[in-house]
Amino acid sequence: MLAGQILNGLVSGAMYALVAIGFTLVVGVLDKLNFTHPEVFMLGGFVGLVSLTYLPLEWAFFFAFFVGGLLGLFTEFVAFRRFHGPESRITAALSSLALGLVVTDLVHKFWGTEQVPLPPQSGWLHKTFSIAGVHFLNLQLMVLGVTLVLMVGLHLLIHHMKLGRQIRALAEAPTSAALLGVNVLRVKQAVFFISSALAAVAGLMLALRSDAAASEIGLTFGLKAMAIMAVGGMGDLRGAVLAGLLIGVIEALMFYFGLGRLGEMTVWLAMILILLLRPAGLFSNGLHSREQRV
Amino acid sequence: MISDHLIITGINILLAWSVYIALLTGSLSFAQGAFMAIGCYAAGYMTTHFDIPFWPATLAAAALTAAFAALVGFPALRLRGLYLILATLGITFCVRVLIENLDFLGGIGGFGGMLGADLGSVAVAVAGVGAVLALISFSPLQRIFDAVREDERVAASLGINITAVRLIGFSAGAAVAAIGGSLYGHYMSFVRPESFDVLLSIYVVLYVVLGGVNNMAGPALGAVVMTLLPEYFRVLADWRPTVFGLAVLVMLLFRPDGLLSFRLRTARADKADGLDGAMKDSQGVRRQVAGRPPLPSSGSVPRSEGGTPQ
Repeated sequence: MLAGQILNGLVSGAMYALVAIGFTLVVGVLDKLNFTHPEVFMLGGFVGLVSLTYLPLEWAFFFAFFVGGLLGLFTEFVAFRRFHGPESRITAALSSLALGLVVTDLVHKFWGTEQVPLPPQSGWLHKTFSIAGVHFLNLQLMVLGVTLVLMVGLHLLIHHMKLGRQIRALAEAPTSAALLGVNVLRVKQAVFFISSALAAVAGLMLALRSDAAASEIGLTFGLKAMAIMAVGGMGDLRGAVLAGLLIGVIEALMFYFGLGRLGEMTVWLAMILILLLRPAGLFSNGLHSREQRV
Repeated sequence: MISDHLIITGINILLAWSVYIALLTGSLSFAQGAFMAIGCYAAGYMTTHFDIPFWPATLAAAALTAAFAALVGFPALRLRGLYLILATLGITFCVRVLIENLDFLGGIGGFGGMLGADLGSVAVAVAGVGAVLALISFSPLQRIFDAVREDERVAASLGINITAVRLIGFSAGAAVAAIGGSLYGHYMSFVRPESFDVLLSIYVVLYVVLGGVNNMAGPALGAVVMTLLPEYFRVLADWRPTVFGLAVLVMLLFRPDGLLSFRLRTARADKADGLDGAMKDSQGVRRQVAGRPPLPSSGSVPRSEGGTPQ
């Protein structure tokens, strides 16, 4: 039972990590908070909803990835293009917040404020099997597997491809990168595409797990991922993944021990403590955050 | 009917001012919903359980909230900009979960029985807070606030105790939010923890962004417009978040100082822009070639960027 809860926690943690990676990529490269991100995450569930009514499951992932990515490009264009530079961090946060409000409201207009159940899936997803007394659900394995594939892909992209090298260069020294011929706008767009696509896939998987697409998860689950990003260290990819899994497991354990309501608070309390005591993040010795904290 | 609208408008004006007061000293706070909740529950508990009259209870709750804000603000205000946004969001979530778990405050089910706020008391509160703000804006205190907001290092070099000033601004803002919360609770006579959702904190900040941040009329106007217009135009009420979000976006894109910004840029500021114009893109004065980042700012004096959202 306990092992089952830990598995549940890992599954939530994987989704947290996917969303937190998106936040941390944007913070790392642009030094801005993308408050539209939680809403793109939420929209992933609804993209899945539409796709699943007409097409099999694989297509839902495909569409979530691409629609999410395109929304990321849109976010960059509307809420971030005009506000670059270190002085407009707050402005960019506010404009993306406003865009997020619009996205949520449009979703409310199309699908209402209540949860919308997904069309029934083939039984395969909800089949269980057990190894050493622990019950595994195919769905859980799928979430973990998809997350792993996406993360390995992201790792390869960041560390072994030209685009990834450009992203790292831009994160480290934007001016030098631009002077050396990196197309800053394209790289920023790529970062937004990737981060939003990952978030939308996470949203789709959350919808699959709860069998419904919900419009309020942006402000609950999505903002929690922002706190997790801060716990892992702003701009720290590895930190975001580890913190996501850690918080997911802690929440599941608190639920298991009957502290479910207080579990909502753990992330935020952890984030405040980390920001105060170890602002570079739990796992990093990164320079990024130290510079921010005048 | 009309008085209901006016009461809500008045409370929203108070909340917008509470954000504005914190912003005066350069802290953008997303914790106003939490402070409002504390004020509401504290005052409500005093009036229902101890039969304290409305006004003394409200003022006591405001003092209590200010003390709480000072307590959490003292460490949190060391954080700037994005970090402060995150920390105040965290405060909002934590306070809400705490209230949901405190059984003597009704927990998740809600807390009721408060009575005693009407249009008159809201008007008194708005007039009182407005008068204090107006007084401050003509007093030397305003210039101290301005100095701290615009450039902390210069302010510190002039012998201003930055931490104290920022703490005062943050706590005073919390106190005003608590008054608003108390009025809200005693007017609705029943509140639930989700009345003080994070969305409330976000909305209040956006009222201020919409109205403009460099004088006290701006936030009030933002709150009035966004509260009263939807009541009289059905379409606006149906599409409220969309219209509101688009309005804020358009405002930030085309008039980054807000609707009521009358403090014009001086020739000196333009000249300074000419020197290091590439750094100051946020005013929209000088747009750069898209895709080219600004020059590095490491050589210049870092400015407090938790200040006016530009």
